[in-house]
Amino acid sequence: MSGSNRVTRRDFIKVTTGAVGGLITLVMGIPALGYLIDPALRENKAGKPVMVGNLADIPVGTPYHFSFTLTKVNGWERTASTFGGFILRKTEDPKDIIILSSRCTHLSCRVNWNEDAGAFLCPCHDAKFSPEGQVLDGPPPEPLRRFAYEVGADGAITITPVELKEG
Amino acid sequence: MWNTLYNWLDERLGLNDLYTNLLDRPEPLGNWWNTLGSASLFLFLLQGATGIFLTVYYTPSPDHAYDSIQYIMNDVAFGWLIRGIHHWGASLMVLVVFIHMLRVFVTASYKYPRELTWLVGIGLLLMTLGMGFTGYLLPWHQMAYWATTVGTQIAGSLPFLGDFVLKTLRGGPDLSALTLQRFFAAHIWILPAALVALIGAHLYLIIKHGESHFPDPED
Amino acid sequence: MNPETKQKINAKYERELQRGEFFWPDSIFKDVIVSLGIFLVLLLLATFVGVHDAPKADPSDTSYIPRPEWYFLFLFKFLALYGQIPVLGKIEWVATVVIPGLAIALLTLLPFIDKTPHRYYARRALPLAIMAILVLGIVLLTFLADVPTVAADGSSLLGTLQTLAGLVIPSLAYLAFIMFAYRARENAVRLISWTSLLAGVLMIGCTVATLALHQPAAAEAAEVPASLVDRIVAGQDLYSIHCVECHGEDGAVTTIEGVKGLEGKEIPPINGKDILYTLNDASLSEVIAYGRPDAGMNPFGKAYNPEGLTRSEIDYIVTFMRYSWDDRFEKPQIKPLFPPLAEGEVPSYAVHIQPIVKRYCISCHRPGKDSYNYFMDTYENILKSGDDSDSNVIAGDENSFLLQVIQGTPIPDTVNPGKDLIGVMPPKGHLKPDAIEAFRRWILMGMPETAEDAAGLTWPTPAATPKP
Repeated sequence: MSGSNRVTRRDFIKVTTGAVGGLITLVMGIPALGYLIDPALRENKAGKPVMVGNLADIPVGTPYHFSFTLTKVNGWERTASTFGGFILRKTEDPKDIIILSSRCTHLSCRVNWNEDAGAFLCPCHDAKFSPEGQVLDGPPPEPLRRFAYEVGADGAITITPVELKEG
Repeated sequence: MWNTLYNWLDERLGLNDLYTNLLDRPEPLGNWWNTLGSASLFLFLLQGATGIFLTVYYTPSPDHAYDSIQYIMNDVAFGWLIRGIHHWGASLMVLVVFIHMLRVFVTASYKYPRELTWLVGIGLLLMTLGMGFTGYLLPWHQMAYWATTVGTQIAGSLPFLGDFVLKTLRGGPDLSALTLQRFFAAHIWILPAALVALIGAHLYLIIKHGESHFPDPED
Repeated sequence: MNPETKQKINAKYERELQRGEFFWPDSIFKDVIVSLGIFLVLLLLATFVGVHDAPKADPSDTSYIPRPEWYFLFLFKFLALYGQIPVLGKIEWVATVVIPGLAIALLTLLPFIDKTPHRYYARRALPLAIMAILVLGIVLLTFLADVPTVAADGSSLLGTLQTLAGLVIPSLAYLAFIMFAYRARENAVRLISWTSLLAGVLMIGCTVATLALHQPAAAEAAEVPASLVDRIVAGQDLYSIHCVECHGEDGAVTTIEGVKGLEGKEIPPINGKDILYTLNDASLSEVIAYGRPDAGMNPFGKAYNPEGLTRSEIDYIVTFMRYSWDDRFEKPQIKPLFPPLAEGEVPSYAVHIQPIVKRYCISCHRPGKDSYNYFMDTYENILKSGDDSDSNVIAGDENSFLLQVIQGTPIPDTVNPGKDLIGVMPPKGHLKPDAIEAFRRWILMGMPETAEDAAGLTWPTPAATPKP
């Protein structure tokens, strides 16, 4: 750097150059960030209630597996994803049932009912849940999630496809 | 603390060398016309950035291209801004690159020792036009579809090789999903890669020979 | 170039550096200021001009006039002009490949063609003149791109002027430049400058004359509905015109009634899960475009009918169906076609009649369509155009043809008894009662144009005017 009398002008130019560069980056950067994270800012919409089974078909005491497909509008396209769960009739009372999601609360693998173990087993990290969804063994931090449900007069079971924490 | 960090980095990266060789160079008295080259570079970077953002949502398939662009324009936050800048930036880039070429021609800056800089520059001009041509098809609307039909047909009028060139450009005898896919590949991979390489050569040559001075009656 | 000249050039450059500036920050500062300017221009363009989109690509719509990006327009125009040249004009590849290829080759090899060390303008008259005429030609051809070379009435005046501006004058100027450069050594610079000036003025003159003589056809700008609501409404308008006849307003029809050729045909309702869940958008579009001949569904796309629906239009209909009947889609708030009429309220053209006309009438009643010259595109045309302009709309008269036909009474032909002069309108389907009521009140109360005009009027309620 030369000339002490030019320093002020040069410093001014340097600062302005940096400021303009920063301004352009900022004006471009903030909208770009909004653009990238836009899908994350959208509200999750609960799907319509889905019919998953009829009381008449479900044995008492053993978890009954069901699956259902949800179609959601994502952008300009619709995507269908399949979800599953278990219905446990604890007694003959039509109101005494639990509907569990089959998604393991550890890392979202799908748990299976194992008759011999009398428990839900997760194939990924050896987690074990009781028939009512309580953690018996393994890494999961909390019990299996549940679905809110309604039982119609004809025994049809309808669930709201949003996973709820127990209680 | 700051100095220690700077010295540590300088020992390994050669920051001081970079500063003296790249930034602290003497140049002939500048003229505002001389900024067109860097304006082209700025537009290229801006097109690159907005283009990368567009590919986050854009889908190069005849079934989805149009809808995905409509989605970007109407639904995604600031999608209209990113696409708007990319759209107008393309036009402006062609204009600025062309005027830059004219400036170099008028001041005869292509003469010794800068012949190769000019040669590379013509390559950059052609690549820029190629970017405009390939990018025009991507929204897959009527204008794009029919303009590209005619544009590729022009290349197809070449004697003997015409049919071969036409099929190469279109990926078949007609405009189809293959055309869209290869125009997309050319627009986001092939041409930009070539552009970056040529820009690198162009910049190296400019630093090597320095910017030319404006000619006076002596020259 | 000999070593001495090189040394001279390098020495001169060293001197320029001595009295110059530094790359950082002096040059970079200017660069950044210019970049900021460009960036602001782009922001303004993106915000206030936006991107004008065309409808979706439709390979079956061959009526579309292709236009390249503006920076290729000059080439587009050059090809058209070149094609007018007798004999040579038929060899397409000379214009598409040889001439542009030659131009690019000359430009690329420029430093090896122009090998003199001179850089000052006065010593470079020839290259500067050549480039000036070239650039001027490119600019003028771009402006001329919209003017046809052969006028619709067969006159060749416009074509001749354009050929002069774009081909003849530049070529003659180039010949003159080269002649001067090699023959008139002393006066070359002066002669070249004057010739290029003359050629430039002539080229601009011919272009301006062409543009002044040419009456541009009114461009029919296709509006592309932007938001989801606009697309749904566009789809509903199209559905009302093309689909309601067979499928009904709500898509629930199972037996077609009152349609010639399809009377009594059993069809599945199109508003239920059977159709909407099992067919995706692409399949629905295909069904509309190509029909289902076995099921009685006619094709509506352009592939079978030049007047048919475009890809975009079919997409809008599908969007309308999805958001209206598919329970997985949440229909956004859509305003009714026109605000419902209050008791005693008199409708106006601007608020009530125009939207109804736009949805149900204008598809046929507009210039270019065979509709007895009755155009409904503007307020004036609704009142005054058409072969029966005296009887179509008569203020205060229930017998206005328009009121008769929309209420199901055809107008008999007085010259050919037994035939209808005007059939029932719309020819397919009926207007909803509230739309008919709007038309009645509007015509009987003297066709107010704006909301202000209508505000002063009151529709007599039945209570006020008891029927005898």
